[in-house]
Amino acid sequence: MTKSIMKTSRALAVAMVVGIASLSSTGCTERSAVTWHEPGVYKGGDDPLLAKQKDSQQIAALQERLVMGQSDR
Amino acid sequence: MARMKFLCDAERCIECNGCVTACKNEHEVPWGVNRRRVVTLDDGVPGEKSISVACMHCTDAPCAAVCPVDCFYTTDDGVVLHDKDLCIGCGYCFYACPFGAPQFPQKEAFGVRGKMDKCTFCAGGPEEDNSAAEREKYGRNRIAEGKLPLCAEMCSTKALLAGDGDMVADIYRDRITKRGGRPETWGWETAYKKSDA
Repeated sequence: MTKSIMKTSRALAVAMVVGIASLSSTGCTERSAVTWHEPGVYKGGDDPLLAKQKDSQQIAALQERLVMGQSDR
Repeated sequence: MARMKFLCDAERCIECNGCVTACKNEHEVPWGVNRRRVVTLDDGVPGEKSISVACMHCTDAPCAAVCPVDCFYTTDDGVVLHDKDLCIGCGYCFYACPFGAPQFPQKEAFGVRGKMDKCTFCAGGPEEDNSAAEREKYGRNRIAEGKLPLCAEMCSTKALLAGDGDMVADIYRDRITKRGGRPETWGWETAYKKSDA
């Protein structure tokens, strides 16, 4: 009788230790697969500014403005 | 082709919020939306530092990468813009952005979000330049007028620089060369000045 109780309690103890160990190790592993996001192709309307930005005069005007307004004197 | 960039010199920013006010006024940004804001570290402690932050117009913009409706585009000079007609206000870009640039106006009750709004580098959006539609959706298009962002142009201490990235870097490098590599706001060199000997 005592032997069987001892056997059962030992089995329970082992089961508890295994359970606690498996629970505590949950989430400890690192996922090696990384989700990469690549930008999709723009689906909106055309911006007329894009054509203007290719104009060398426009680029020069912006650069001149930067030197004139924001550089140290 | 130049790449447009912002740079805020933390040694010069005095947390006046002039850039924030200039931006809000120029683009008539609604209440609750700040396209630009000033962040102060160690506020009230000697040596506190402030920087003005808005959309940094990333080269590999994470907002564009996560957008489910692909409403972002990058201009030839590196300005990241978006189409508000396509935006569904999902907020993915807000979570992806490391600078907290995307803002969402609260349009209705129960926290329903409107279309995303962010700094446009004063370059408007995909509408006719400086048309009423563009002005209403994105604000003024100063770049089309040959002008640079107002936040930088209005900065009283010239802490905030905006323009061709190479030229901005040159201006900043000149400053560092003149004032030395380390901040001189506090310390022996400020208290007793450098000796000429």
